[in-house]
Amino acid sequence: MAHDPAIEEDVFVGKINLALWRKVIHFAAPFRNYVLALIALGVLTSIVDVSLPRFTGKIVDAVTASNPAHFHAIAWRYLATLAVFVGCILGFILTAGWIVTSVSFDIRETAFEKLQELPFSFYDRKAVGWLMARLTSDCGTLSQVMAWALLDVVWGSTVLFCTAVVMLRLNWKLALLVLTVTPALVLVARFFQVRLLLTSRALRKANSQTTAAFNEGIVGVRTSKSMVREERNLEEFRDLTGAMYGHALRNALYTAMFFPLMLSICSVGAAMAVWRGGFAVRSGEISLGYLVTFLQYAGLVIWPVQELCNAITRIQGAQASAERIVSLLDTDVEIRDSKEVLIRLKAHNNGSPTLAPDGYPARIESIEFRDVTFSYKAGQTVLRNFNLSVEAGETIALVGPTGGGKTTIVGLACRFYEPTSGQILINGTDYRQRSLKWLQSNLGMVLQQPHLFSGTVRENIRYGRLSATDEEIEQAAKLVDAHDFIVSLKDGYGAAVGEGGNQLSTGQKQLIALARAVIADPQIFVMDEATSSVDTQTERAIQTAVERVLENRISFVIAHRLSTIRNADRILVIENGRITEQGTHHNLIRQRGHYFELYTSQFTHEREEQMLDYKELTTADE
Amino acid sequence: MSGRSRTLWNLTAGQRLRYVGAVAAVAVGMLFMFQAPLIVQGAIDGLIDPSSAGGRLARLAQSLRDQSGLGTALALFAVGMVAVNLLGATFRYLGGRWSAYASERIIRHLRERLYAHLQHLPMTYHDKVQTGDLVQRCTSDVDTVRGFYNSQIIELVHNSMRIIIVVPILLFLDWRLALVSIALMPVIIGSAIIFFKRVQGSFKKTDEAEGAMTATLQENLTGIRVVRAFARQQFEIERFRAKNDNHRKLNWRLYKLMATFWASSDLLCFTQSALLLLVGSSRVLHGSMSIGTLVAFVSYGQMFIWPVREIGRVLTELGKAMVAIGRIDEILYIVEETAPTTPVSNPPARTRGELELRDVSFSHGEKQIIHNLSLKIPAGSTVALLGPSGSGKTTLVNLLLRIYDYNTGSITLDGMELRNLGRKYVRSQFGAVLQEPFLYSKTLRDNMKLGRHAAGDDEMVAAASLAAIHGTIEGFDQKYDTLLGERGVTLSGGQRQRTAIARALLRDAPILILDDALSAVDTHTESSILDALKRMRGKHTIILIAHRLSTLMHADRIAVMEKGQIVQLGTHDELVAEEGLYRKLWQIQSALEEDLKDEITTDSQEKSQTLLEAAKE
Repeated sequence: MAHDPAIEEDVFVGKINLALWRKVIHFAAPFRNYVLALIALGVLTSIVDVSLPRFTGKIVDAVTASNPAHFHAIAWRYLATLAVFVGCILGFILTAGWIVTSVSFDIRETAFEKLQELPFSFYDRKAVGWLMARLTSDCGTLSQVMAWALLDVVWGSTVLFCTAVVMLRLNWKLALLVLTVTPALVLVARFFQVRLLLTSRALRKANSQTTAAFNEGIVGVRTSKSMVREERNLEEFRDLTGAMYGHALRNALYTAMFFPLMLSICSVGAAMAVWRGGFAVRSGEISLGYLVTFLQYAGLVIWPVQELCNAITRIQGAQASAERIVSLLDTDVEIRDSKEVLIRLKAHNNGSPTLAPDGYPARIESIEFRDVTFSYKAGQTVLRNFNLSVEAGETIALVGPTGGGKTTIVGLACRFYEPTSGQILINGTDYRQRSLKWLQSNLGMVLQQPHLFSGTVRENIRYGRLSATDEEIEQAAKLVDAHDFIVSLKDGYGAAVGEGGNQLSTGQKQLIALARAVIADPQIFVMDEATSSVDTQTERAIQTAVERVLENRISFVIAHRLSTIRNADRILVIENGRITEQGTHHNLIRQRGHYFELYTSQFTHEREEQMLDYKELTTADE
Repeated sequence: MSGRSRTLWNLTAGQRLRYVGAVAAVAVGMLFMFQAPLIVQGAIDGLIDPSSAGGRLARLAQSLRDQSGLGTALALFAVGMVAVNLLGATFRYLGGRWSAYASERIIRHLRERLYAHLQHLPMTYHDKVQTGDLVQRCTSDVDTVRGFYNSQIIELVHNSMRIIIVVPILLFLDWRLALVSIALMPVIIGSAIIFFKRVQGSFKKTDEAEGAMTATLQENLTGIRVVRAFARQQFEIERFRAKNDNHRKLNWRLYKLMATFWASSDLLCFTQSALLLLVGSSRVLHGSMSIGTLVAFVSYGQMFIWPVREIGRVLTELGKAMVAIGRIDEILYIVEETAPTTPVSNPPARTRGELELRDVSFSHGEKQIIHNLSLKIPAGSTVALLGPSGSGKTTLVNLLLRIYDYNTGSITLDGMELRNLGRKYVRSQFGAVLQEPFLYSKTLRDNMKLGRHAAGDDEMVAAASLAAIHGTIEGFDQKYDTLLGERGVTLSGGQRQRTAIARALLRDAPILILDDALSAVDTHTESSILDALKRMRGKHTIILIAHRLSTLMHADRIAVMEKGQIVQLGTHDELVAEEGLYRKLWQIQSALEEDLKDEITTDSQEKSQTLLEAAKE
């Protein structure tokens, strides 16, 4: 069962998990100086923030006292403070920006490197979309919080503290009176910010559901029309827009309520200052300037309170992101070079042509599955006590029903998975004693859904061997009969293949993937339904070419098409994780077993399709 | 441009009163909010600072103090302050509330209208456009427009009202100082507009860089098998790092821009308040203004200097909303599927399912796909269509369903011209399994009952059994409640086809169409489904399109199509006797026997050869 990413995004953790944040803070360590600078700037900014209203008060006092000299002195200090303030703003945006961009860069880089090591079993469990969200939105949220929430907390608490101190020093009675509104402000701010966070998340989720509904409505429009489903579809869509309307409205109403309420509470503080302060001025206890200052402070308390609460809510909100990133980084790599292999790799890094980097012979003479049992999930055994020995130069065809374990066998041979029990030996040595990278750089794989990377045709073929020259690339393409179609493309070898190769047909993609595998000059060649979408003629041409390439190498071929299998040295019929029949095509036909049945039923099918597949007409009937 | 504004205006239908209310409430709220500094001014001038002259409020304060003492007067003024603020807050909230209701309703309506419209647009339109582009217009463009209705209108009103209300008050209080305190406004607004315009380009670039980084990540993750198969981890890490680094650089540039803008606009705003404070103070020093007025000026300054900066942003956002509504307009202007001009009155609820095509031609774009095709399909008969891909079989199905409209000729259903029947009526007479059937990401039950919602569960199970999918479904943990699609189970090609067949069968329509619906089904299952179809003969008209001879050889009549025409028509026996494509296909069977014979002989040849060799030694 796939995870529902929308639901997972919505985890709202109540308490702040310090142990988790300690792990995350680790990412800020290289930027310690920037963080310290940010804290310093936060403190300085808040001090300036707090002192500004004092200036207004002092200026008013100077004016009241009709003291022009004093007024000028204060005016200059006031202007200087403003300049410092503007400098602080410039400084903290830049510092925070630097931390955000650098930290997110680092997290992404670390996570990406981790992803390159994680085993396929991990990828089988996690959807690509889920993983992407970790490196995009989670990463962004986390780095933003690390800089901005820190700044907000520093700024907010310092301002609150300084405001209180200044007011208390000016007149503690009046100060206490004005500050009584702070708890109310805190409560209101927390209440609303948590709700705003929750409703905006619900809104985001509803939005992605609506997007999915639009997508489905458009992709399935033909079916909807033929089933006369339009009205019911719209009704169901109305439910979605209704939910979205509800969330959006709630969010908007909280927003509409929040600020006016905060301002009203603040005005209570200011009113109390006028009331009690008025007496104090009259009785000569404080100056009028002091009162003006108090009034300004009473209006200012709202900001630090709001920022502080906002920062805390954001930290709580980001905690889910932090958890997911940390869990990704903490995932066990499972398949990797053992310590002994690492030591051997270090000891033996000279470039001998006959020896692999791990010191063993570089040539693969044989692969042997010895009593291999494998399960993807505990309790669901896919292969059971499987034995197979393959020598260099042999082509092994695997046939049988889907889910029988053909792809698993190949995955194990390539060490994308390791046996649950039993051993796989290369040249008689357990492959866990060999370098993983060495083995995998000796693979050439072509899969049914060939994955190309966006870029040019040439870049995609070169992916097989980065050092390949343009001539070699062309040669490889010619070998697999891809050259003609490539040069017919608008930019030939320089043609962009599009995202995932979507500018090309599946057959064309398969040919390029084949060329990519050929140019890699692998010792183990794997073709998993590699030519299923190529027309029969091309396939035959590829067949003879590949046979030449495969000389002296081990190759595994999984295919449905008979012509592909017929020429294999050995055909294994795999059912329920076991070999039920094996032998050459001739032998198996004579046995009249599963293979014979498969062959006869498919023969007719293939020929019929072939006859109806007029190449020049294939595009029109869509 | 005027078209866009008209659309924006038309969309507000039904919500205009709310908007007027919202704008009025915001204005009233603001009026109240702006009274607060005046009250403080009155209190200071009238009660606190005895030296001040003061205005009307100050005189009111003084008379209050004279009547009931300083304490009561001060307390009353304090209560007045809170009251004015509360009233202001209430109106501000009401404004926000009404505009939220209005805008969310407009947007909900717009979303539904777009959805309904898209479903009713002709297939010829859908064939041309890209799904991703349409979805983007219906979601993110709509969201941009939502921003316009939801906040930008109100913000613009709110911010301009601040200026409109405050400036006269200031002018009234002291016109010279008022002029000083708005001196920098044009510069602040102007620079904000310029900045937000400029930063848009930078935002776009950063977004694109993020998109490129995400795309690289996605490609890596979807192609992780290829990466591992070639041990290209290091290469991939470097490739990702380049994108990651580019994103970082652009993002950093954005931060620098932001820092410059906020710092300089803060500088401007501070300069404006400082100017106000210092010029005001010197005027007080010279005795040409009261202190209370100065304090009021300072308070008003706080109220409108900073928000003015927002006007620049709002205006830029407005520009974006205009572009978005334009893109939405392009969809809304496309004409929906047309209704018949001379409709048949009261067609029967259920037809017999007799179809006749006479000289039908159809071209899609410039290419003619069907040429003068005639075919009679009696009610209750089974007709099979066979032909190379591109010969027009699927197009024919689309014409029957009125997904496309035929250009010339006539198609009748029970003698009624298809063109004169409503599309939905025509489609209701068919149970169609289309090529590459689409299943919704709903439960299997919902998918099955898609065509006939009222069907009972027993009928559904019966249909599923006929389509040979019931056993598979029973094998799922949640059986018919299994969710399909991204969040649920992914069905194999054959399973999808069989589900679609069950869905069409459950529809129980007079005519059943299976367009290459058995291609991914294994031969054994296929024959059991075909048996089920055979039992439906006489009751349902069945149109079968297939590539496999075994699928269609039992049809009443088989039509061989080539290049948009029927080139052969007859029963299996008739067609086998005729020279043509059908016979060639039929001969493949004998080819298999020959092939097997070959195998065995080469085998024995080899054997005899080895025997020979053995004998030689």
